[in-house]
Amino acid sequence: MLNKIAGHEVDRRLLLKGAAAGGLGIAGATMLAGCAPGSTGPISFGARTVDESPTIQLKGLVDAYIAKTGNEVTYNATESNAFQNNLSQYLQGTPDDCFQWMAGYRMQFFADQGLLVDLSDAWNEIGDQYNESYKIAATAADGKQYFVPQSWYPWGLHFRKSMMAEIGMDADSVYNWDDFLAALGEMKAKGLIGLASADKGGWEAMGMFDILNARINGYQFHVDLLAGREKWTDDRVKEVFRHWEQLLPFMNTNVLDLEWDGAMQLLLQKQAGFFFNGSWFGANFLEQSQEDYDDLWIIPFPEINPDNARDTIDAPIDGFCVAKNGANNAGGADLAKFAGDIEGVQAMLDTGIPMTSANNGQDRSSYDAFQLQQVAVMDEAKYITQFLDRDTRPDFAGPIIGPAFQSWFKDPSSTDSILESLQSQWDALPAL
Amino acid sequence: MSAATTKADKPRRRRTFSGRDKVTLGFFVGVPTFLHLALVWFPAIATIYLSFTYWTGIHISDIQWAGTANYENIIFETPRFWEAVRVNVVWLFWFGLIATPLGILLAYQIDREIRGHKFYQSAYYLPVVLSMAVIGIIWNFLLRPDGFVNGLMGLEISEAISFFGDDRYNLWVILIMASWRHIGYIMLLYLAGLKAIDATLREAAAIDGATEWQTFRRIIFPAMQPVNIIVIVITIIESLRAFDMVYIIYGGRGGLPILGVLVFENIAGEGASMKGAAYAVILFLLSIVPILAYLQQQFKEDVR
Repeated sequence: MLNKIAGHEVDRRLLLKGAAAGGLGIAGATMLAGCAPGSTGPISFGARTVDESPTIQLKGLVDAYIAKTGNEVTYNATESNAFQNNLSQYLQGTPDDCFQWMAGYRMQFFADQGLLVDLSDAWNEIGDQYNESYKIAATAADGKQYFVPQSWYPWGLHFRKSMMAEIGMDADSVYNWDDFLAALGEMKAKGLIGLASADKGGWEAMGMFDILNARINGYQFHVDLLAGREKWTDDRVKEVFRHWEQLLPFMNTNVLDLEWDGAMQLLLQKQAGFFFNGSWFGANFLEQSQEDYDDLWIIPFPEINPDNARDTIDAPIDGFCVAKNGANNAGGADLAKFAGDIEGVQAMLDTGIPMTSANNGQDRSSYDAFQLQQVAVMDEAKYITQFLDRDTRPDFAGPIIGPAFQSWFKDPSSTDSILESLQSQWDALPAL
Repeated sequence: MSAATTKADKPRRRRTFSGRDKVTLGFFVGVPTFLHLALVWFPAIATIYLSFTYWTGIHISDIQWAGTANYENIIFETPRFWEAVRVNVVWLFWFGLIATPLGILLAYQIDREIRGHKFYQSAYYLPVVLSMAVIGIIWNFLLRPDGFVNGLMGLEISEAISFFGDDRYNLWVILIMASWRHIGYIMLLYLAGLKAIDATLREAAAIDGATEWQTFRRIIFPAMQPVNIIVIVITIIESLRAFDMVYIIYGGRGGLPILGVLVFENIAGEGASMKGAAYAVILFLLSIVPILAYLQQQFKEDVR
C-alpha cells in the first residue's frame, strides 16, 4: 500500500519531467520512437507482488526492456492482496501503464468495462509463440485480446521426495482416492500431518473445492456450477463436501489460522506429507536452498470417479495487462508485448527464478526436474480451469464463497445449510 | 433567577459588520462549510443513494435502481450479516461492561494518587498513542501460529494455538487486544474530568462520613455527567466502527465478521457491489443514535 503511494509520487514527477522533456526537444522524442516504435516517454510498471523471487524476475524483465529500448520505466510494487482489493479504484485512477494481472473472468470483467487497452496488435506480432488456448484465455467478450501471458502453474499434490523416502512411502503411486486415504492414514499413524491446509486468506481452500468437484462431478458440471447453470444445493455438490470431510482428520487443526505460506512451512519443515497448492511456491523453496527445491515433487490430485479419471486441473495463467487510464498506453502495450515476446521471457528466465512460461519458445530442455514434472501433470489433464475466484463472478467468489468455506471448516456438519445459503446468495446477485 | 431575567430583558446591541468583516466571515464560514458538504455530506448522501442500486463501481451510466434489494439480500440471505451483528453486539457489551468500567476504575485510582500512579498512568496510556492498525500488527506478531507466544510455548506451527482461527477464542482475543487501547483511552478522558472536580466536594463528603464507594457513587459520578455521556458515546461508536485491527489480522477477506469489514469486503476490489453501500448505511444508522446524543450534550454545554 505504502509502496503504491510512494510509487505514484515518483510516477507523477516522472510524468512532469517527461512532459518537460517533450516540450524541449522533438529530436529526443523521435530518437526514442526510433528505438521502440509507438512508444514515447516514461512507462510505469505495476507489480502485484513484494515477494523476493518474483520481484527479481520482474525487475529482470524491466531492466532488459530498458536496455533494449532506452525507455524509462519505473517499477512500482504492491502487496498482492492490497493490489487486488484496490484494483477497481486503481484502474479508474492513475494506474501504472503496464501491470501484472491474471487471465480468465477476472481480466474479461475489466476489459468489458473498458478499463484495459486492446492488445490485439501485440498478439498479431507475438501470437505465433503461443498455443491457441493461451490466446483464448487472453481474449475478452469482444473477441479482442487484453492480456499477455507470462507463466502458468498447476495445482497439484506436492510432497518432499526425501521425506517420503524416510517414511518408506511410494507417493508417486498414489493414483486414486483409496490410495490417497491409505497414504494419509499411514502418515497419521506415524504422527505426521497428512495434508497441510490453509484458509485464513479465504481463497486457499477454493483450490481443493475445484479439484474435488472436477474429479467427482466432472469438468462440465464444475464450469456450469460456477456459471450459475447448476445449483449449489445439488446432491453432487454435497458429495464434494462429503469427500472433503474425509480429509479433515488428516489436516492440521489450525486451517483457519494459516495462510498458504503457513501451510507451505509445514511441508518445508517436514511436518506434513502432502500440500495441495499451486506450484508457484517452488520459488519459495528455492529461496530456502537449492536442496529444498530439488526435493520438491508434484503429482496430480488422485482420481475419485473413474469416469473423469484425472482429466481436469486448475492451472492459472498470470500475465500482464495495460491500463486504459495509464499515462502512456502505447508505452505500456510495448512493454507488455516485450514481456510476452521470447526476448522478455528469456530475460525473466535468466534471473534464475524458476518459471514455466506460457511461451512455446522457452527451451524445455532447460527445465529442471520439478518443472518437467509440472508439465507432465499438466499434460495428463484434458481440461484446464483457472481457479474458482478467477472463473466466477468476483462479487460471489470473494465475499460469499470465501467466508462460506471458512464456516464449513468450523462446522462441517452444517454443509447443507451452508450450501442452501450459497445458492440463495447466488440467486440474490444482480444480473450482470 | 432575577439576574437571568434582567440579562434577557436588556435589548441586545446590534452588531454591524463592515464589508470587509462580511468577506472575512463569509470566507471563514464558507470554506469549511463547502469542504464539509463536499467531503462529508456528498459522499454520505451518495452512499445512501447507491445502497438502493446495483453498480459495479465503474461507470456512472451502469447504475441501476434496485429498490431495497440490497437490504433484503443482506437481512434475509446473508447469514454473515447476523454473525457480524452478533460480534458487534458482544463487542459493545464487552466494552460497556468490562473495558470502560475498568478505565474508569483506573482513572479514579490514579486520581486518588495511589503509589506509582504516574507509572500506571503512562503505562496504560501508552497503547492509546498507537493506532488500531499498529495494535493489530503488534498482536499479530505475538499470537499468530509462528509468532512469539506459540514459540514461547514451544508449539510447532501445526500444533499452534489457533488464536485467530478458532471460534472459541478469536473474538475474545480480539476484544482483549481492543481493550488494551480502549481502557487507556477511557482512563485519560475520565481522569481529565476528575481533575476538574472541586476537591471541596470530596472533603464535604468525607466530613459527612461517606465511604469511598458512596463518595464515588453519589458525589463524583453524578458530577461527572458530561464526561459520562462522552464516555458512553465513545464506547458505542468504538464498538460499532471497529475495523482496522480486524482487517490487519484477517486481511479483509473472511475471518471474524464485523460490520466494518463487511462494508469493505463488499465494496473493495473486484467484487464491488452496492451491498457494501447498504452495509455502510446500516452501520451509519446504528451509530447515528449515540452520535446524536453526543451532539446534544455538546450543544447543551455550549449553551450553558
